[in-house]
Amino acid sequence: MEFVVEVENLTKSFGTKAVLQGVSLKIRRGESYVVIGGSGSGKSVLVKCILGLIPYDVGSIKINGRDISKLSQKELFQTRLKCGVLYQGGALFDSLTVIDNVSFGLVYGYGMPKKKAYAIALEKLRSVDLDESVARIYPAELSGGMMKRVALARAIATAPDIIFFDEPTTGLDPITSGTINDLIVKCTKEMGISALSITHDINSLKHISNRVGLLHNGKMIWEGSNAELTTTTNPYVVQFINGNSHGPFTSN
Amino acid sequence: MFLVRVGRLFISFLASIGNVAVFMLRSLSFGFAPPYYWRQILQQAVQIGYFSLPVVGMTALFTGMAMTLQCYAGFSEFTAENAIPSVVMIAMTRELGPVLTALMVAGRLGASMTAEIGTMKVTEQIDALTTLSVNSYKYLVFPRLLTGTTLLPFLVFIDDIIGILGGYLVGVYHLNFNAANYIRNTFEALTFSDISSGLVKGAVFGFLICLMGCYQGYFSKGGAEGVGRATTNSVVTSSILILLFDCILTFILF
Ligand SMILES: Nc1ncnc2c1ncn2[C@@H]1O[C@H](COP(=O)(O)OP(=O)(O)OP(=O)(O)O)[C@@H](O)[C@H]1O
Ligand SMILES: [Mg+2]
Repeated sequence: MEFVVEVENLTKSFGTKAVLQGVSLKIRRGESYVVIGGSGSGKSVLVKCILGLIPYDVGSIKINGRDISKLSQKELFQTRLKCGVLYQGGALFDSLTVIDNVSFGLVYGYGMPKKKAYAIALEKLRSVDLDESVARIYPAELSGGMMKRVALARAIATAPDIIFFDEPTTGLDPITSGTINDLIVKCTKEMGISALSITHDINSLKHISNRVGLLHNGKMIWEGSNAELTTTTNPYVVQFINGNSHGPFTSN
Repeated sequence: MFLVRVGRLFISFLASIGNVAVFMLRSLSFGFAPPYYWRQILQQAVQIGYFSLPVVGMTALFTGMAMTLQCYAGFSEFTAENAIPSVVMIAMTRELGPVLTALMVAGRLGASMTAEIGTMKVTEQIDALTTLSVNSYKYLVFPRLLTGTTLLPFLVFIDDIIGILGGYLVGVYHLNFNAANYIRNTFEALTFSDISSGLVKGAVFGFLICLMGCYQGYFSKGGAEGVGRATTNSVVTSSILILLFDCILTFILF
């Protein structure tokens, strides 16, 4: 299987509001794909459709070569274990300690004994530069940057084939953003995990991406490699990268 | 124009009943299938059974006391004081016990359920459960429905006892009833159906509180403000449903 995720002609509307209008996208194994686009262009909806969190109208989505609409409930849950997600706000479970959060997918998803799951969770915490000292505390006591790191540890704990990053650096200071970017690169380059990220952070974009797609008006209007990003003359891309207020994008 | 508005309101009312029904069926069908999340169930049991006790107990005590005083004011006019213990007992077991317990639990537990699940919803924690391969109906909703339905009758039973005790205290120590007579008058009138009808009501109310609490939380949207609105809705709808079903059940059980 060459591709981890294959999305074809995906269409999704909420009521009369068409959000995605035929989006296609393929992510190769080991590739770090970044989707950019204006606010409300449907980036989060795209990711939620791929994860099966919201139903879509038309099109097909394949993960590891299997069409997710044809999977049974059980197979769908097994497929999801192969997808790590770093949610925008972290989405750590408030009522559980850090270690219980990180080992959650192992215990509940894989049915692993707690002791073994904790050992793996600790190892994952270390790989995001945290140690045992945070294991027993609750998410509310963590800083924003630490929360993101714990959430990342939780996302990689189940040994996923692909990780979805929803605006991983939004709301963090430049240095913490840098650390998170490095960790994302570490996941993709060293651990060989594929990634699909959403970001508005151009700095982060240049750092973490192999391929970039620009989503606009429900369609992927440009796609190219990281290098092409700076050489392209596509007016949308140029405006987006430079953050000009003049150009084909009109702010709403 | 007016008719159109009423019609629309009626349709949206029916639609929300449908949504609640679907939500309920999903929770039950996922919940009763293994694996079972015992830890979640136990945690909820402690929340409902143990931490609600002080509130419920106090409500019962004061209600039983006030009830006895009120009865005395009325009954003593035609020297029917002997009926007071049994009236208090029947009022507590059949009506006040279940209804007051349920209303207190709706305010305390229903509200916190909605707030907790609603917060999980708007901060994407419910999505995170799903992508970590856990069915959220099974993990969040079912344990609450199960423990609410099974434990509320126990709370009602305790409420009955404390309420009757409150009546006894006022009767014997304030109104100078003979203690032995008071107890005899209470238990002579007691029938099995007095207790059982209250317990049945308790189970139904417990189910309603948890169903509305979870439903409102699960479908809340729009950040912290949305969760606040959902919490209010949860308490209001479950309180109304409690009183509505109390009326229906009283018709059926008598
Ligand atoms: N559950 C929903 N019900 C109705 N409309 C929705 C829902 N979810 C998203 N939308 C709409 O779909 C559009 C795209 O939303 P989405 O969250 O995907 O935007 P986005 O590209 O992620 O924006 P941002 O960069 O601001 O996060 C928005 O206009 C939003 O109002
Ligand atoms: Mg978004």
